Amino acid sequence: MSKVMAIKIQSLNKSYQTHVVLKDLNLNIKKGEIFGLLGPNGAGKTTLISILNYLETKDSGEITILGKNYEKYKKHIQSHSSYIPQSYAFYPELTTYENLEFFAALYKINPINIKEKIMTAVKMTALEKYINRKAKDFSGGLKRRLNIAIGLLNDPEILYLDEPTVGIDPQSRKYILDIIKNINKTQNTTIIYTSHYMDEIEYLCDEIAILDNNRIVKKDTKQNLISENTSVKIKLENEEFTINTKDGYKELTDKLSQLKEENRKILSINYGNKTLEEMFLKITKQDLRD
Amino acid sequence: MFKYILKKELLLVSRNLHALLVLFVMPSAFIIIMSLALQNTYSNKIDVKFKVLVTSDIKTKIVDDLISKLQNNDFFEIRYIDDEIKDKNILYKKGYDHFIFIPSSYLKSIQQNKDTQIDIYSKPESSIQNINLLKNLVSSNISKQIINNLLIQLDVDTKNTKDFTKSVLHHYISKENSMKVTSVQQSVPAWLIFSMFFILIPISNTFINEKNLGTLNRIKSINVSMLPILLGKVVPYYIINLIQVGFMILVGIYVMPQLGADALQINGNLGMIFIIASCVSFAAISFALVIANIAKQTEDATSIGGISNILLAAIGGIMVPKFIMP
Repeated sequence: MSKVMAIKIQSLNKSYQTHVVLKDLNLNIKKGEIFGLLGPNGAGKTTLISILNYLETKDSGEITILGKNYEKYKKHIQSHSSYIPQSYAFYPELTTYENLEFFAALYKINPINIKEKIMTAVKMTALEKYINRKAKDFSGGLKRRLNIAIGLLNDPEILYLDEPTVGIDPQSRKYILDIIKNINKTQNTTIIYTSHYMDEIEYLCDEIAILDNNRIVKKDTKQNLISENTSVKIKLENEEFTINTKDGYKELTDKLSQLKEENRKILSINYGNKTLEEMFLKITKQDLRD
Repeated sequence: MFKYILKKELLLVSRNLHALLVLFVMPSAFIIIMSLALQNTYSNKIDVKFKVLVTSDIKTKIVDDLISKLQNNDFFEIRYIDDEIKDKNILYKKGYDHFIFIPSSYLKSIQQNKDTQIDIYSKPESSIQNINLLKNLVSSNISKQIINNLLIQLDVDTKNTKDFTKSVLHHYISKENSMKVTSVQQSVPAWLIFSMFFILIPISNTFINEKNLGTLNRIKSINVSMLPILLGKVVPYYIINLIQVGFMILVGIYVMPQLGADALQINGNLGMIFIIASCVSFAAISFALVIANIAKQTEDATSIGGISNILLAAIGGIMVPKFIMP
């Protein structure tokens, strides 16, 4: 059974004077999935997210969000979606609670329910201990979590996350990715996720699109993309080798059995991580971008 | 919703120590310093007299009489040394403002009704008004001595002669219901208006941070009208401006008399003060929003706004009172 679409984009065009940013872009994003948007710098990811959040105007094209026309149902779409920008878009001088209270009021949450909504968002992002602390004193990871908590206040059906793990340590990254997975799982929220980290995209996303040269150059499910050129990297004490699993796992299982017989110690098995990155570089031609 | 927007903005200002210093402490300091410094400019009382040293190489009754006459004034502190001091640098060595040398020919000139010359030396920074005042004081007293001497020669009883300088009295006539002009009356409203325009600092800080941190974009992406957002920028700062007005008026009324200055008098219509304060506040907030919109960094807004405020204050009668301007 085919899923209902959260976002449908047809022939979307956007230019800044003579500079074309998006050209005849078509994209469908299913409801309830985590959708990864990849692309080199300047590919148009942020412009696309900005248009979907009414921060930029489109030149032409049709957009339908949650089954509603983008132009006609702006208020409805805005109140059912949430944008979490890359920057720490809150007030550092205010506490977690004060920030959340302010944004909850902007989301027009009934004052009677504000506290409850705040506590739910705080719990989902594990900020309970920091509720009365000023955001300026937070670590990068805590700031990112507060940024996400604000975006959860209106129970969005669509959540846009623009590189939400930039500049934080691996532990905080993992924590945030789990929070995002949990939001998707428990609330069935459609998540549009942009990042430069391939491992994050691979860990989180059900479907991935690669945006380059003003258009979508590749879009598929994670399984399909990885299985196109999947390899497994096995690292031993003094040796490492890669086995391609595109045509099945026989070679891999044979090799693992052989290593077991030889009583060789396996230090790590790295699955898929590099292949998505390699595939991305291959598709986007590996050129250095501005 | 508006309640929370208002709360957010007031919390931000209350936690901005620098802004609070600029909005409340700086104008209070200006009011105190400028009111006390300009006290004599606006007042008829003279608290500090200019120091004048008089020396002479003769020691006679007529010189003593002249010194005694010179000492009878409200503006100069006359000190006489009967040593022969001709070094004009004594002005700087002993810290005098003026130095008068009475020559040995003085006695003869008075007795023979001849021209005489007394030299007055002043520091370059002495005002021409002070110099003229001192010249008048000296010349009028020489004239008195000459006349007195003539009367004695004519055998006229000088005991009953009148000093007409004491018969000439000066009176200030104020407009009906007008207040006494004092340095506090000038300084409080002047520096209050100046400080109200410094609302630019907290407004531009929060607005530019909202732009740069992406908070403004986040707000725009929410289904919220821009009117409460704009009012949220105007109303809290309008309230702060009115608090400033009240605070500075209280400083003028209660603090200044404690420091020896005149108290601020408010005899006018309080409603009119409120209307004027509101107009100034809206002008200041609008100016701040324009600067915040133009500037990219808070540093730009602070420097552009600060310089503009100082220039506007210079030409607007805040730094230099209007009646002193050409």
